[in-house]
Amino acid sequence: MDMDDALQTFMAEGHELLEDMENALLSIESDPDNEDTINAIFRAAHTIKGSAGLFGLNYLVTFTHVVESVLDRVRAREVAISTDLVALLLSSCDHLTDLMDWVARGEDDVSDSLARKSLGIEENLKVFLDTPVAGAGEQVSADSSAAEDGHSADVDADEPPVAEPALTEKDLWHISLRFGPDVLRHGMDPVSFIRYLATLGTIHHIETLLDAIPDAGNMDPETCYTGFEISLHSTQSKEAIEGVFEFVSEESQIHILAPDCLQEEYIRLIKALPEEDMKLGEILVRCGTLTHRELESALQQQQSSGNSLQPIGEMLVEKNVVNSEVVNAAVRKQKTVKEARPPEASLIRVDADKLDNLINLVGELIIAGAGTNILALRSGQSDLIESTETLSRLVEEVRDSALNLRMVQIGSTFNRFQRVVRDVSQELGKDIRLTINGGDTELDKTVVEKIADPLTHLVRNSMDHGIEAEEVRLAAGKPAHGSLMLNAYHDAGSIVIEVSDDGGGIHKDRILSKAIEKGLISENSAAAMTDKDIFNLVFEPGFSTADQVSNLSGRGVGMDVVRRNIESLRGTVEMDSQDGQGTMARIRLPLTLAIIDGFLVGVNQSAYVIPLDMVVECVEYGAWKESDNSHCLNLRGEVLPYIRLSEYFETQNPGHSSERESVVVVRFGDSKVGLVVDRLMGEFQTVIKPLGKLFNGVGGISGFTILGSGDVVLILDIPSLINDAGTLLYQTDRQAMTA
Amino acid sequence: MAKNIMVVDDSASLRQVVAIALKGAGYDVTEACDGKDALSKLNGQKVHLVISDVNMPNMDGITFVKELKKNPSYKFTPVIMLTTESQEGKKKEGQAAGARAWVVKPFKPEQMLSAVAKLIMP
Repeated sequence: MDMDDALQTFMAEGHELLEDMENALLSIESDPDNEDTINAIFRAAHTIKGSAGLFGLNYLVTFTHVVESVLDRVRAREVAISTDLVALLLSSCDHLTDLMDWVARGEDDVSDSLARKSLGIEENLKVFLDTPVAGAGEQVSADSSAAEDGHSADVDADEPPVAEPALTEKDLWHISLRFGPDVLRHGMDPVSFIRYLATLGTIHHIETLLDAIPDAGNMDPETCYTGFEISLHSTQSKEAIEGVFEFVSEESQIHILAPDCLQEEYIRLIKALPEEDMKLGEILVRCGTLTHRELESALQQQQSSGNSLQPIGEMLVEKNVVNSEVVNAAVRKQKTVKEARPPEASLIRVDADKLDNLINLVGELIIAGAGTNILALRSGQSDLIESTETLSRLVEEVRDSALNLRMVQIGSTFNRFQRVVRDVSQELGKDIRLTINGGDTELDKTVVEKIADPLTHLVRNSMDHGIEAEEVRLAAGKPAHGSLMLNAYHDAGSIVIEVSDDGGGIHKDRILSKAIEKGLISENSAAAMTDKDIFNLVFEPGFSTADQVSNLSGRGVGMDVVRRNIESLRGTVEMDSQDGQGTMARIRLPLTLAIIDGFLVGVNQSAYVIPLDMVVECVEYGAWKESDNSHCLNLRGEVLPYIRLSEYFETQNPGHSSERESVVVVRFGDSKVGLVVDRLMGEFQTVIKPLGKLFNGVGGISGFTILGSGDVVLILDIPSLINDAGTLLYQTDRQAMTA
Repeated sequence: MAKNIMVVDDSASLRQVVAIALKGAGYDVTEACDGKDALSKLNGQKVHLVISDVNMPNMDGITFVKELKKNPSYKFTPVIMLTTESQEGKKKEGQAAGARAWVVKPFKPEQMLSAVAKLIMP
């Protein structure tokens, strides 16, 4: 582990915190009194500042400090949450992300544009620091600057002190220590402090005072009774020497006299200490801080001045007092930070590559396991069969938990849209509210990553084209603010993500005329199109929406790219719209990209895998067959189009005719189709292997897998088969009509 | 044998940097992400110094120090609290619980090292 690793951790942590901060900022607008949210925002800024300081990223610290100071005033209710403030804080958030990226690039100097931006935002933020508020808040701006001074003092303290002219032998610091009785119990070791003191200079002389130790009978071994008189040769400042005893200063009597201090101070010291005056005087002389002559005159002076006992408090290092004021000021600034953070304890970060590797290995394990199963069955040894079965059950569990490792909730992706919706609605001048449902739905990490872009496009599209302007909405009897909904749920082995709005809906006529104009469809076919088909035309390549392009949704990425992206994840997307009611884009994605439960079927000599989640039932073909010509079955009164796989893949063996064919009914979305096969070979775990480029144009298959026997088997692409079945049906109907 | 220091903080990056600094200075470091984790990791083992944050999920620093000090094995173990720019109230609470030393966040590794050096020898 080195600093680079630590910096990586800091980056990851920082980005997470900024994301939390952004989400909290977005929710604070609607709920300005939520203390937990305010605290969460504050804590994010605070933690970033803390860690940045540790890495010496002073630039980041300075900027975050201003943000934190403003947030602190918000927390103290001295500054009210306003749209302006939230906007400013959001831009601070963005700027912090930029600064993080700057850190990630490892550049030494902040670029001019970043520096200018920092200054600009800081200026704006400082307005909130200077605003006077009623009552207790008046001191705040002074406080925060004091705190800043305190902070810079911290930094200064680390720099080597300016060399002072060499001290003469006589010029010694005198340090008088009486440790409190409880220091040992608090884990403080007096010797340790003295040893540390020695690092600041040379200890010239040290006297240990044991006067306070009681009789053995009364002595408590856990109590500290010792005191020390030390003379120190050091070029350090008084503050630095005081700093040594910082942790015991409250419970102990510590007096530090500078080499050039006045005799009166010695007198006060002697008086303040519990030991006998004369004895102390001797000690001081022995320590070399005081000469005999000085001591005598001092004692005389003390007697002549009478009983003007100086309270110890006054002696206690003036500088220290000043410091504590600075500290107190800062205290008012910082109150308890409430922890509402998700427990990090139960999380570990894992490299995504490692997970991929694990999944690959699990895939190999499944294939190897299946091979072993076959061998065991062939051998016919019942105990061997039993043990391989146990093994495969375990492998199955390993598979599920390995796949589960890659599952993440879609919520964080959804939450990102709060910001998008906020920004875009401001840009468009529309009041649009986002509702999120099913944020806890889990799906594969790769899918989550890749779905963000298409989703953004759909969301922007809905906001730009879907939701109408306020006047139009009011005229249509709708609420003035538009609603956008993101919804996710599981359905039949896939995950469904819906982006819906309550806007004007898609105008079928406009789509149709445009599609005809672009030559995508003919006027004849237009007449036969269902509503759904019409809506889905927007995903066709070449269906440019050029005359509607604004700087929002028309960023050079068309809806066809959205569909392509989703299809590359083995998913589908479709549009649904109700005129005047709104539009919904429904994305359907596979749960995982790696391993599935498959259903193995045989057609002639070949075998195929159907994803088990999509299988509804298996029925006997002969029992439901109506006629040989039509491509549908009458399944319990329901029309079911079917595909004969041997015909579809043209694997028909003329000499072979299966006596008993079966129909596997599969479902995808709302559509069902039957696949006619020769043999049903049962379920088995399928490791999906992608097909090579050569297979790009081949329909009906989505990948391949390897059986335990080593045979390569194709995985059926059910969505495309369903699509083809529809076309097939259409063609047969036409043939029937012409016949 | 090098002295063992336990670092308790919910920020992994902070723990890492502190650990690097402390290891560089010749100490052994045990990390824990909150009070609960720290107590279960200590479990009677010898530790020479504990550095703990105040604000942590699951079990905060103050509760942790109180629990720690209940165990006779750690009665004399010094504790450095990591406070935010001097949360006076928290500092007092920490002191009452038995954490007498503190370092104010944000700090630099050297500041932490000097606080540690005041309390224990490498």
